[in-house]
Amino acid sequence: MKNPYLPMSVTISKINFENKAKDLKTFDFTFDNPDDAKDFQFICGQFAMISIDGIGEAPFGIASSPMEKKIIQFTIKRYPQGLLTTSLHNLSVGDKVGLRGPLGNGYPMKKIQGQNILIVGGGFALTTLRSVAQYVLHKDNRSNYGRLTMLAAAREPGEMLYRDDMTEFEKALNTEIIQTIDRPAEDWTHKVGFAAPVLKEVAPSPKDTYALICGPPIMIKTCTDVLLELDFDTDKILNSLEMKMACGIGKCGRCNVGNKYVCKDGPVFSYKELLELTKGCGL
Amino acid sequence: MKKLKMINKKDITKLLDELAKNYRLLAPVEKDGIVNFTEVQNGQDITLDFYNSKEPLKKLFFPQSETLYCYSKEQGRTVPEEQDKRRKIVFGLRPCDAKAAVLLDNVFDGADFKDPYYLEKRENTIICSLACNEPQTSCFCTSLGLGPGDKDGSDIFIVDIGDKYLFEAVTQKGQKLLDEMTGTYEPEDKDIKKAQTLITESENKIKKQIETACLSEKLDELADSPIWDELAEKCIGCGICTYLCPTCHCFAIVDEASDCKGCRVRNWDSCMFGNFTLEASGHNPRPTGKERMRQRIMHKFNYFVKNFDANACVGCGRCFRNCPVHNDLIKVIEKINNAKSEPKK
Amino acid sequence: MSDIQQQIQEHAKKLLSDKTVDLFIGYKDINEPMLTEPAFIRDAKDADQLIWNPFCEHNLAKYLVGRNEKIAIVAKTNDVRSIVVLINEQQVIRENLTIIGVNCDDVIDRKKVEAEMDGKDITSAQIKDDKLIVKAEKISKTLKIKNYLHDSCLDNKRDMSEICDIIIGEKSSCKTEEDKYAKIRELEQKTPEERWEYFKKELSKCIRCYACRNACPLCYCKSCFVDQKFPNWVGQTTDLSDTMCFHIMRALHTAGRCVDCGACVRACPNGIDLRMLTGKIEKDVKELFGAEAGLNPETDNPMTSYKEDDPEDFIK
Repeated sequence: MKNPYLPMSVTISKINFENKAKDLKTFDFTFDNPDDAKDFQFICGQFAMISIDGIGEAPFGIASSPMEKKIIQFTIKRYPQGLLTTSLHNLSVGDKVGLRGPLGNGYPMKKIQGQNILIVGGGFALTTLRSVAQYVLHKDNRSNYGRLTMLAAAREPGEMLYRDDMTEFEKALNTEIIQTIDRPAEDWTHKVGFAAPVLKEVAPSPKDTYALICGPPIMIKTCTDVLLELDFDTDKILNSLEMKMACGIGKCGRCNVGNKYVCKDGPVFSYKELLELTKGCGL
Repeated sequence: MKKLKMINKKDITKLLDELAKNYRLLAPVEKDGIVNFTEVQNGQDITLDFYNSKEPLKKLFFPQSETLYCYSKEQGRTVPEEQDKRRKIVFGLRPCDAKAAVLLDNVFDGADFKDPYYLEKRENTIICSLACNEPQTSCFCTSLGLGPGDKDGSDIFIVDIGDKYLFEAVTQKGQKLLDEMTGTYEPEDKDIKKAQTLITESENKIKKQIETACLSEKLDELADSPIWDELAEKCIGCGICTYLCPTCHCFAIVDEASDCKGCRVRNWDSCMFGNFTLEASGHNPRPTGKERMRQRIMHKFNYFVKNFDANACVGCGRCFRNCPVHNDLIKVIEKINNAKSEPKK
Repeated sequence: MSDIQQQIQEHAKKLLSDKTVDLFIGYKDINEPMLTEPAFIRDAKDADQLIWNPFCEHNLAKYLVGRNEKIAIVAKTNDVRSIVVLINEQQVIRENLTIIGVNCDDVIDRKKVEAEMDGKDITSAQIKDDKLIVKAEKISKTLKIKNYLHDSCLDNKRDMSEICDIIIGEKSSCKTEEDKYAKIRELEQKTPEERWEYFKKELSKCIRCYACRNACPLCYCKSCFVDQKFPNWVGQTTDLSDTMCFHIMRALHTAGRCVDCGACVRACPNGIDLRMLTGKIEKDVKELFGAEAGLNPETDNPMTSYKEDDPEDFIK
């Protein structure tokens, strides 16, 4: 029987600072065991438990696209109270950590084929959404999907992630990238404004469109309200939830929303599903 | 190969002594006034004159602290192995606890992920349950589809009929063990009838009831009900109800290490603890006792029902008997069934 | 007894009706032999749910911290002392509290009663004057209440009338001449190895449920040391050394504060003798600093204040 609690060994091959505050880093991992690399087949929106023996484990969304076979990427924010994130940020290229995954349900990329995609990402929650954008825009996949609209929101320019990636994305066919920051700043040529009002302005037609939202709770709420106003289908508004996790495989009882576990049945839930799940628990 | 066997009470110690030679025998042992399932070498150390063990059997398959793996620079990660690989027999378990293990199987023997630590122990254990001739005043198993004579989850089912025990093989595993037992003989019809009568009498002694017919649906309408504030107000937020509940299964995973070596361990945790869902950012989706109490009741009587078509409760009454403020689940359910619908706004 | 109950109900009716308080914390019946539960009454018409009997065992001071309401609380002698410590530590606002001190506050130790019943479930328990009539299947016993009281009630008798806003009942005549620290002195006589064995034996019963900590009115830290990971003071497994560490550290945190109300022992599902630990620390504080917790809200805890003549003989 495979032991789902035992991590695989991975090595840090690259570390990139993602923001001015330097508390957001993107880590590239390579598998130590080539069999693990082969077996690690994931889809956009799935996550993995990153593990440091002696410290602990925590879940992180996979930031790289499944089309990228050589490395797995995660963008991780350091929280002062976070045991694992602090230790991870103290590591260097060449250090080894553990990885358990892929876990979770991921975005239903097969179901979304033939549809348009609207991505709305706030702050560093953009991480798995960037995986979706890379996947959709890959030459092998582009023709399977319609128009791609991506709205990336951040507090300030220094906090905007993946700016180089977004410059690349803009060049693709039938693709629109909108970046917005909360308040005006010097040298900022893109939009200014909170995610929800900007979304109202730039949202594409809801017809045949899936909306993928991820970000801080207030952003998710205000943007979802905008999408509902614009008549988006409630089972086509997809959220990726986060909760504190321990096992990541639906056994430790910690991360449930209603009767579903965010780790095993999620983290991706449609708005329609969430309404049903939170019926009895008011969350 | 006979399904039913009898043994005289005076021969039971000898039987247990023999079983203890080839198996690891766990039976009820009294220590300082508290009965718990303990490994014994001698049949005489046990007591079968008890209502129920203080701690539930889940401890056997899902220990309170369990090493998932050890790590060191030299050896990398190693999963610890059981030193004594003999099969285990649990003797004298009550039907509610046996059923609880069946309920927990839904979690640990999931379709998508299997828990090797739990399953290996489960597979390696033979459960010999003892019918309850004398339920406790706090028992309400009959409301949950079980009873003092329920055989679900047992490999061998035992009934105390006075000066003898009647053994019945319920599964193949149980039959195999029953065939090995010495000092047994075949029962007569009157023995079998007596066992049935005792069980029926015992069922009739159970006075407490909960109504579960529409409970799950009702709970979906109580998201914003003030009933949760009321229930949570006297709760002190300790872990007794969850730790002593045979069907609760929450756990935390921690690392215990020093000097480049250590272990990753899982420990029982409780959804009633304040920091259970506390995130590193400081945000807590269940910030007060009210949300936690609601989560616990919803999990047992709504979420588990939706996921596995069963209530996560066997009516053993341990939560009530041991709660420092005597929170009574029976009264809680009654309040819920009678509460005014107040769905999420 | 029933007169005290009536007085409690009347006070509750009045204090709630004239809005002197928003919340009245007392006890109510739950229709189970020997059991009562904390009651939170907000409406004067519910005041008749309040009861008083020797099974009112909870230390209700537990429920005071973190509330901004005006509260009246029914408090036994030891509970009043807990409230005094909370006032001294500025965890409750005195002006918001109406302390209703109940004398004649001897609490029956249910475990002592259960021990008389041959392990059988108790089906009824009736109080008649100074006797308790207990029934289980095929057994009926009449017990003298004063022989079945909680040790914490026997050991601690104080007059806390000065602190209380309202006093109900005559002072109990069930005084005992026993040395409060007799059992502790007995253990003190033993060798360090024998003492360690005693604590190992007691604390190996612990299942880390934290009921002792949560039942204690003085354990109000938002983040308990045992839950902290940064640094990881105490391991969270059931390893005996971690468990003993937790209990010893928690007992030390109660130094100069614990009033020996017994809430921890009553909450423990396995009946661990926690008062041996907390009692020993209490005894040491009394002997070293001449201080007892919870008698005067103005008196500072010797652990958090400095006096010139504090003993120094342990500094070598």
